[in-house]
Amino acid sequence: MKKTLAAFLISAAWPALAQEAYVVGVSAAMTGPGAATYAPVVEAMKAYLEHVNAKGGVNGKPIRLLVQDDGAEPSRAAANAKKLLAQDNVVMLINTSLSSTYAPMVSEAKRANVPLYFGGSVCPKETYPPADPLQFCSSAFGANLDSQGSLNFIKAQSKEPVRIGFAAMAIPIARAEIDYAEGLSKTLGMTPVEKQISPPPAPDYTPFATKLKDANPNWVFSWSPWVSQVRTFEAMRRLGWNGRYLTWAHLNAEDELARIKDGEFYVIGTNALFQDNLPIHAEIRAVTHRANLTYPVTYLTEGFIAGMVIESTLKATPWPPTPAKVLAAMNNLKVDMKGLRGGPLEWTKENHFRTRQYYRVWRWDPSKNAVVRVQDWQAIDVKR
Amino acid sequence: MSSSGYFRTSYARDAALVDTRTQKAWLSVFCVALAAFPFLAGPFALDLANQVLLTSIGAVALMLLTGYAGQISLGHAGLLAAGAFTAGILFKEIGASIWITLPASAAVGALIGFVFGLPSLRLRGLYLAVSTLALHFLVIHAGQEYETRRGFSTGVVLDSPLADARAWFFVLLFASAATILFSLNLLRGRTGRAWRAIHGREAVAAALGINVKAAKLSAFVVSCTLTSIAGCLFAYYRGFVSAEAFSLFVTIQYVAAVIVGGIGSILGALLGTVFVVLFPYGIEALMAVLGFADRLSSVIFAVNYAAFGLAMILFLVFEPQGLVGIWRRVQAWFLLWPFKQKPVGK
Amino acid sequence: MQLAANIAVLAAIYALIACGYVLIYRVSRVLSLAHGELMMLGAYGLAVTASLFGGHPLVAIAASAALALAVGFLVYGLLMWRMTGESVLAAVLATIALGILLRGAMILAFGTQTQYPLQGLGWTNASIAIGSARISAAGLTLVLGTAAVYGALFVFLHASRWGIRMRAAGQNPLLAAQRGVRLHGIYALAWGLATFTGGMAGMLIACDAGIESTLVTIGLKAFPAALVGGLDSLLGALAGAWIVAAAEVLLIHYVDPLLSDVVPFFVLLAMLVVRPWGLFGTREELDRV
Repeated sequence: MKKTLAAFLISAAWPALAQEAYVVGVSAAMTGPGAATYAPVVEAMKAYLEHVNAKGGVNGKPIRLLVQDDGAEPSRAAANAKKLLAQDNVVMLINTSLSSTYAPMVSEAKRANVPLYFGGSVCPKETYPPADPLQFCSSAFGANLDSQGSLNFIKAQSKEPVRIGFAAMAIPIARAEIDYAEGLSKTLGMTPVEKQISPPPAPDYTPFATKLKDANPNWVFSWSPWVSQVRTFEAMRRLGWNGRYLTWAHLNAEDELARIKDGEFYVIGTNALFQDNLPIHAEIRAVTHRANLTYPVTYLTEGFIAGMVIESTLKATPWPPTPAKVLAAMNNLKVDMKGLRGGPLEWTKENHFRTRQYYRVWRWDPSKNAVVRVQDWQAIDVKR
Repeated sequence: MSSSGYFRTSYARDAALVDTRTQKAWLSVFCVALAAFPFLAGPFALDLANQVLLTSIGAVALMLLTGYAGQISLGHAGLLAAGAFTAGILFKEIGASIWITLPASAAVGALIGFVFGLPSLRLRGLYLAVSTLALHFLVIHAGQEYETRRGFSTGVVLDSPLADARAWFFVLLFASAATILFSLNLLRGRTGRAWRAIHGREAVAAALGINVKAAKLSAFVVSCTLTSIAGCLFAYYRGFVSAEAFSLFVTIQYVAAVIVGGIGSILGALLGTVFVVLFPYGIEALMAVLGFADRLSSVIFAVNYAAFGLAMILFLVFEPQGLVGIWRRVQAWFLLWPFKQKPVGK
Repeated sequence: MQLAANIAVLAAIYALIACGYVLIYRVSRVLSLAHGELMMLGAYGLAVTASLFGGHPLVAIAASAALALAVGFLVYGLLMWRMTGESVLAAVLATIALGILLRGAMILAFGTQTQYPLQGLGWTNASIAIGSARISAAGLTLVLGTAAVYGALFVFLHASRWGIRMRAAGQNPLLAAQRGVRLHGIYALAWGLATFTGGMAGMLIACDAGIESTLVTIGLKAFPAALVGGLDSLLGALAGAWIVAAAEVLLIHYVDPLLSDVVPFFVLLAMLVVRPWGLFGTREELDRV
């Protein structure tokens, strides 16, 4: 109550300051489970948009990003969405939180007819073609596509028949993906030998790793939150397994490769690593340094990309903005990734994910004592 | 306590919920205010009110079980999940409407309540709390398994029969009022007296001829049925069901509502609910007023969490009788003025 | 053989955490549900001292152990002494509230990123071969450490003055107080020791896997181990830990890995139905008029 009263007084006294901006709102898991994955994304997004405002904003107006913490709680996410839509009149709603928060935010967005953009959170299937009219996604992960890219890589890399093991955390989204990957592996001529699903709070991953090792795979694919991926791997190594492990590159992949220092630990991802030292990486460093972010700079690519997407969308939205105009801009978007991804991010009316998904694979090279790229951008067309 | 000069001259008057003219007058003013509220309040306040009403059903149910019958239960979130998942499963599998899922949730709640209550026949206090905790984890696990096996990895979406927040306000108000009236009636009858007796001293209650086993089980069954209904309403209000929404923290929030409100009082359950639901928003407003809002906006959840823990500790240490205790003290101050103490012997 | 090693490590984890629950319950009849958070605090303490005493890992470890002990005393001195004599629910709720407060404070103080204290100490978690099984260095330390802790506690409780006083205070507080045993001191000592062992468990798990929010849930999973053995028996905690760990590992290996999350609670329920006071616990007193 006091907040709205204060806001009312301020806006009455200084009308110019309060009204003239593109207002967007994000509900994010800034704390609680998954915060390690989503908080850096939001901070980088905020820093980028502040940088854009410092350069003059878009179409001469600043972008105001309102951040609400939902702690990965669906009820909080719903309340945040209601507040952002009803009180703050945002023209775009953003979700950077766990998948359990999707359904309430989707229903709120539908009710208000405002586009919902998943910036950094796992893309729901509704953004794949044929896409739900209001849901958009730019996040790196792609259900089913990640498995396709990964298994294609494994097939390309192996000269001998592949005995593949699977590991995932016991959350519905990871299990669904690993089940899909298992089915896909059979069609590619691989032999799935073992699948281990570990519950999140496992004190020791050795029992799961024991089961996996006993099945004697030469490759293991894991798609889950980082903690379960890396701990399963470390446990398997300690048991004396010498095979090759392919896993999804989360935000901390670059730093973790350097910490683990294992030559047969591969990560697959869609975002370029900082070791490429592109001009855009220098820009990320500068922007986030100015914003005094506490996260390692290598974690911030995804958030930066989300910021770039928001900037492009709003640039294509003529003033004064309305949700309908923003939606029109998003249905016809092409954002130059400047090397951060394999190609530009394109959205169409049918496809709210992207028209092409590009994958790279990296590993640590002990002889060079550095992270090396094993596969350059491989494109997969995203069709119905 | 009531003002001086008022005497109850029959059992009916003694058991009545509202007896003096002043009470009736205040009650009607309150009802008018409640009816007018949705038309005067903004959408945010309306949503908060709906949340308070929805939570109050579960809180009153827990108050019956823990506050009156004295059976500690840490499995409350499991019951809410059971009700919500029943609604979700029936909707997805056979397309049932709310007129089927609501009674079904109540039946499921009664059944689970019976199961939850069985340990109470042998265990007490701590051990009972632990057994309910274990059952909570089992229910949640079952919910998660359903979600995964049937492919609803982001949760089960339900079609809500109502979309308008104002309509929901009246529905929830009706449900909450019905729960409160039902509970009050139960409490002033034989069942309520039996519960109070077993809460006081079980051996004495048994010696007085009260069927302790039946009383305990009935407490569990009634409480869990009400909670399950609340869970079903929750599923329809939010329009979706997912296992992550029913964590241990939800149970703790309900238990906190009961304790902070004041054990052994329905009014306490209501006051506690208002406190628990509005607390995070109060903290945010406080942060904004104190000027920390920007610096802490990204960790506001942690601040809420810590503040909630601190508030609970302060209540437990300094106000063991809870908000109801404060309410009664304020009431006494007004009623006794200019005197400070109640007369000796009254 | 590998299975046995896995069971041993998991049992050591559960036993070390469970002895904290048992110590506090045995002495003051309070169930501390803040134990998981105190474990995590111990792990963060190690991360902090590791970065403070960069080149001296042993000093860092000793400092963090002392810190854990001090925190236990503080918790009793600031909060739990006020809860003595209150109802069971109030005391348990106070510990739950403390846990919530600590969790929020830890996020505010340390952020949400995973931290690796082992790196700060400058050691690596090597793999050690024992027969045909392999075990990590942290795992081996856990097993040996737990054995040492239990041995020390046993000697302390049966042979030293303060230990005997603790047992007396646990058996009959009124009589012990009348005999001159300072109850508040005993309770503070119990909390200090419990937090010390819990902190140790947290530190060792963090060395194996890094500090994360799941550490708290592990604390809750160890609780069935304490209950199965009997909440006021250390020997019971050890036995309970073995039973629960064995059930978990064997089920993961032979049946379904997903069950490992709920197995401790199944075992708990079974125990509560058959023998609520655990394998080695004392029967709770009957209700007398």
